[in-house]
Amino acid sequence: MSASILYIEDDRDIGGWVSDFLKEKGYGVKWLQSGEKAVEEAAQCAVVVLDVMLPGLDGFTVGQRLKKAYPGLPILMLSARTSIDDKLQGLEFADDYLTKPFHPDELAARVEVLLRRSAVQSAEPVRVKHLTVYEGENRIVNEDTGEEILLTGKQYQIFMYLLQHQGRVMTKEQIYESVWGESYIEGDKTLMVHIRYLREKLERDPASPEIIETVRGLGYRVKA
Amino acid sequence: MKGWRAKGRFRKSLTNRYLLLISVAMIFMPILFPLASVFYWFVANTFMDVPPLPDKKYENGTVLEKMWHKEATQLEGASPEEIEQRLKSLRQAYPEVQMLWVDSDSRKRIELPVQEDMPALWSAQHTVQFMKNSVGADPFTVVAFIGDEGADEGFMVMRIPRKYISVQDPIASETTLYGLFMATMSGLFILVSWLFFVRIRKRLLRLRNAMTSPNEATGIPQPVTLTKLDEIGQLEEGYNDMVSQLEEGQRRQREEEELRKSLIASLSHDLRTPLTVIRSHIFSLEREPLSGRGKESLSLIEAKIGDLGGLIDNLLSYNLLTSGKVQLNLDAKDVLRLVKESAAAWYPVWEKAGIEPDIALREEPLIWNVDVLWFRRLLDNLFQNVVRHAQSGKYIGIYTEERQVEGGEETGALIISDRGPGFGSESHNKGAGIGLAVVDFLAKEMGLKCEVESSGEGTRITIWKPGSGGVYPGQELNPGGKQVRFEVDDM
Repeated sequence: MSASILYIEDDRDIGGWVSDFLKEKGYGVKWLQSGEKAVEEAAQCAVVVLDVMLPGLDGFTVGQRLKKAYPGLPILMLSARTSIDDKLQGLEFADDYLTKPFHPDELAARVEVLLRRSAVQSAEPVRVKHLTVYEGENRIVNEDTGEEILLTGKQYQIFMYLLQHQGRVMTKEQIYESVWGESYIEGDKTLMVHIRYLREKLERDPASPEIIETVRGLGYRVKA
Repeated sequence: MKGWRAKGRFRKSLTNRYLLLISVAMIFMPILFPLASVFYWFVANTFMDVPPLPDKKYENGTVLEKMWHKEATQLEGASPEEIEQRLKSLRQAYPEVQMLWVDSDSRKRIELPVQEDMPALWSAQHTVQFMKNSVGADPFTVVAFIGDEGADEGFMVMRIPRKYISVQDPIASETTLYGLFMATMSGLFILVSWLFFVRIRKRLLRLRNAMTSPNEATGIPQPVTLTKLDEIGQLEEGYNDMVSQLEEGQRRQREEEELRKSLIASLSHDLRTPLTVIRSHIFSLEREPLSGRGKESLSLIEAKIGDLGGLIDNLLSYNLLTSGKVQLNLDAKDVLRLVKESAAAWYPVWEKAGIEPDIALREEPLIWNVDVLWFRRLLDNLFQNVVRHAQSGKYIGIYTEERQVEGGEETGALIISDRGPGFGSESHNKGAGIGLAVVDFLAKEMGLKCEVESSGEGTRITIWKPGSGGVYPGQELNPGGKQVRFEVDDM
């Protein structure tokens, strides 16, 4: 059975339509009209799509409760990324945002990314171009040759960080601070050097990389 | 009751207490001299009437003189033996006194003890000389005729060094005491006045310290504890009232801000919900068999719904911001980092729209005082505008530049440019206004300057932090520029 989505939305029109749409796409959908039973229902779900305003409990409270109960459960918040509501500052629990009125395809794409991200964290292997990544086993296999690719600790962490945010451009600062756990100092070439070595191991042709893409002036990304 | 209240009011006034202090000092001036005498008398009686010293009999010259004359008178008609006897017994009683007896024949008869300077024969001339020398001199000398003055029985002389009788002379010590008393009283007055002012100063300083050390969280000064109910006490009370009013005002403002925010947030949500429904149904329609024109219409509706969503957001933001109910939390941040993160989030959108990003930001950080959340909104609006109105240019440039500001300083400026049709075109005039108004408002609130240069070849938006001299709205910064240029708030 395909991964199930917990969808919390108070509006009947949107709720009904979106859950039908997601079901069409092949997901199992559990739609709740209020946040009251969210924590119990979330146990069987792989991802949560949460509306900001709900009767009774607001979306922020529900989100915080869910994250507390299931820290690994990805949450997609239906809200503006820079909303007029400054509660967003305390919105560490959401893994992604989507602003209403969203395009249904956009929602499906975001849900897909979140599911893949949670799959990366689980034992399920992820396929990226000619690589298969077994995150649970810390193993990367080059399918061209069938050989395992051995990475150093930092190279592995950098790759995993980009893979977890697949499709998103991550800035040098974000990568460095997540992997090294300290503030990035401008002009530091450490990350660049690591990426170069990483490419030499991962890419078919390190001179024109396919897996880790450089986004000029910003950072890097692993394309979805 | 009334009297007590009056007294209370009196004591509650610093003016009155000061006047009392001055009055007491003024009244004391005339009283001080008699008081000094009383003091002297008291001191003299208590401390000077010490138990009789062994030589107290010499204390008073007059007494001594009287005694000597009395003795001489009593010796009238006495025989030389009797005189000698009497003098010897007197000498025993007054051992420090020198005694001399000269008989009627001017001959020195007895000398107790023997003194070198005394001649054996006292001529009239010598006697007069002796008398003259003795007046007011040391030793203290008394000459007395034996018997009556005309008895011609000779005379007797007594001499005593003045140290025995002048030690207790009170004349000098009296002045010292007066002086001492006056000095003490003046000193006391100065001390009391000084203490009076020191205490006032201390209380005022305490109040000033309270005023200048505000609570870190609220920025409102701390209230003080009341000391007394005088003028400074009233000042403290007034100050405390002011503090509580400020706190109340701040609390009310926070409440209003919260209320307004939640109102606008729910309004935004309520407006977006039907849009979402419409959009989802457009999506359903798109999958139905439709003619080319039908599909075109649907995609137009869809695009407009997206625009409407952005418009609602900006409109509500603008309303919220300009209501003055929103406090920006300004922090010193590296804005280039925020720009990069925001651009990274927009990157897929640009790719999809066929816009080629050209990003060249300097390595060293650009620190401005910004509210992170609202600065992101500012960037989002600018990036959104490029997607919405300058897509035809297929380009977005995000870079930094050194810019001269007032006073010749150089500062980093952030530039966002596109190759769209510019503000003159129809596309830009529709809907860009409110988004840019939000940008302009936010820039101003964060102490930044925002300049828009637009022509048919593209739009270039420069954001920088004015130098310490400040750049004022409307001031021309680059008069030599060729492009059409106008301030955002003019639109």
